Amino acid sequence: MKVLIIEDHQELARNINDFLVKEGYICEQCCTLEAAREKLSLFQYDCILLDIGLPDGNGIHLLDLIRTEYKQSNVVIISARNAVDDKIIGLEKGADDYLTKPFHLAELHARIRAVYRRKNLGGTYIVEFNEIRLNTDTFEALIGETPLDVTRKEFDLLLYFIVNKNRVLSRQSIAAHLWGDYTDNLANFDFVYQHVKNLRRKIGNAGGTDYISTVYGLGYKFNAHKEAET
Amino acid sequence: MKLTNKFTLWYFAIMLVVLLIGGAIVYYEIQWKISKVEVVRHQRLNDLIAQQIRTGGDFSGSPTRKRAAIDEIPAGNMPKGANSYYTRGVGWNPEFQANEYRLVVTSFYAINGKYYRITTYSYIPSFYQLLPGVVDSFKWILLVLLVLVAISSKLIPKYILSPLSRTLKVIQYFDLKQRKPIRLPETRTSEFKELNIFLKKMTDKALEDYQSLKEFAENASHELQTPTAIIRGKLELLMESDIQDDQAILIAEMHNALEKLSRIHSSLTLLTKLENKEYVTEIPVCLSELTRETLVSFDELIQMKSLTLKCHIEDNVYIHLHSSLADLLLTNLVSNAIRHNIPGGTIRVSLTKTGLVIANSGLTPQVPVTELFERFKKGDPASDSIGIGLAIVRQICELMNFNIIYEYAASQHTIAISFQPSIPASKLLQNLSFPLYPVL
Repeated sequence: MKVLIIEDHQELARNINDFLVKEGYICEQCCTLEAAREKLSLFQYDCILLDIGLPDGNGIHLLDLIRTEYKQSNVVIISARNAVDDKIIGLEKGADDYLTKPFHLAELHARIRAVYRRKNLGGTYIVEFNEIRLNTDTFEALIGETPLDVTRKEFDLLLYFIVNKNRVLSRQSIAAHLWGDYTDNLANFDFVYQHVKNLRRKIGNAGGTDYISTVYGLGYKFNAHKEAET
Repeated sequence: MKLTNKFTLWYFAIMLVVLLIGGAIVYYEIQWKISKVEVVRHQRLNDLIAQQIRTGGDFSGSPTRKRAAIDEIPAGNMPKGANSYYTRGVGWNPEFQANEYRLVVTSFYAINGKYYRITTYSYIPSFYQLLPGVVDSFKWILLVLLVLVAISSKLIPKYILSPLSRTLKVIQYFDLKQRKPIRLPETRTSEFKELNIFLKKMTDKALEDYQSLKEFAENASHELQTPTAIIRGKLELLMESDIQDDQAILIAEMHNALEKLSRIHSSLTLLTKLENKEYVTEIPVCLSELTRETLVSFDELIQMKSLTLKCHIEDNVYIHLHSSLADLLLTNLVSNAIRHNIPGGTIRVSLTKTGLVIANSGLTPQVPVTELFERFKKGDPASDSIGIGLAIVRQICELMNFNIIYEYAASQHTIAISFQPSIPASKLLQNLSFPLYPVL
């Protein structure tokens, strides 16, 4: 997947770049509207990460161009401005998702994948990993042929793990993903622990491999190579 | 007491004193004047009699002699200096058969080498006869003054003080948050002019300060966001690298602190936005549905803490509130009720058209409950939260003119919100339909 990162903060752009490159994405960066226009006219991208506050203008203006000329690209807005209006205008102008800074990179990745699934996989909502099959439309999970009885939160958690496989996911990142912006009131990460525990138990009961492991002090990891070990 | 009433009372007191003194002055003046006139008349009469004596002849039948006594006196008895004096006093008036006030004027003349003392007298109204007249007239004056002052104290201030009252009204409606400079009425009164200039200066300065403070807060929060995002990203990348366990702990702690920072930051930004009234809506939101949804989304957490949820949610409760604010309000309240609960405790939710009540069991707060609405105030200082949830709730309530109260009694924390400004939230607690039946 080819990603264009339009972000004026070099460090942040590099973070995103480093993270996505590890996923095997091809990333390009630019930090002004002008440079972005040039890149867009020359190359084709699957996904565009668009910062709204750019030095030479509002990133929203780029949306019109993208929607008329480069329809195939998904756009995820990343903005420091958590204004409702921005969000609404952005989504109305054809952005596919909106993420407020500061965000977890894993979250950004999950959003990119979700947007990509919605638009590019021809309406299939199936996410597969070895014996695990997730239907993101009906929220049904299967281990092989055995249906996995998971709650909505557990489903989201499993999807988050699979999208960000082989990565350490911090408890904060998981909490933010599951409960959204208002995790202040749920700062108690025991809830995350409970959910992960339940999920692992349920997968185990359905005869699946226990891919999820605890990373000491940090969080959890979905180990894609686990099968080879067992 | 109103300024005009105060003025009127003072004026009235001063008037009373002036009138009393004036009355006394008038009384003595009249009395003295009457005597004076009488004395002059009698001196003229005495002169006339002396003239008659000088010309000689018999005037004993003349009307001039009616009340006159003429004595020839030895030369030694002639007074030196003034040749006339008068006395006053009560004397018997045989004409009216009564004791009356008598004025006696005595004059001395030297006529043709002989010395005469001529005394004439008449009866004049006594002081005591004058007094009621004076008192009466002053009574009337007082009455007229009273009526006029009463009327003018109502009418004149309206005219004179109208710039002041208009200024007061403007000041009353002045709201820093609306960021509109005040416009004060024109006036020709110099004091009011001064006051207006002062007020204008003061409010403009306040507006300016408020604006710069807000700008600072906004800029600071905006500028903080990017570095936070960068640090977070670096930490996440660092986590993926090959690290030791003790390093992992360090990273996790950094991550935790950073997380808290970003939560504080986003909450403060939210509060700023609430203050800026960025959330306005014309579409009413169905709170019944939203409350149910919120409770369902927290179901897992409720179960994890083995809490009992009881609720009574009226159907079709629509209120004018931005949907994200409604969501925020409910999420904050419900998650608060879960978080500050005790294992195995209860949560009770009641939603009616008039208001929302959420009660939960919990430990005794260590600070007064009203303070929990303040930013960064926590019931339990050791807790991991940043203590801003209730501040957000209160801000939303203030924005929407909802009345909110927080009560703690018998291990129950109760927050009541009245959607109608006319109904105090405490009233909701009285007509509460607790105990509620269990649901879900």
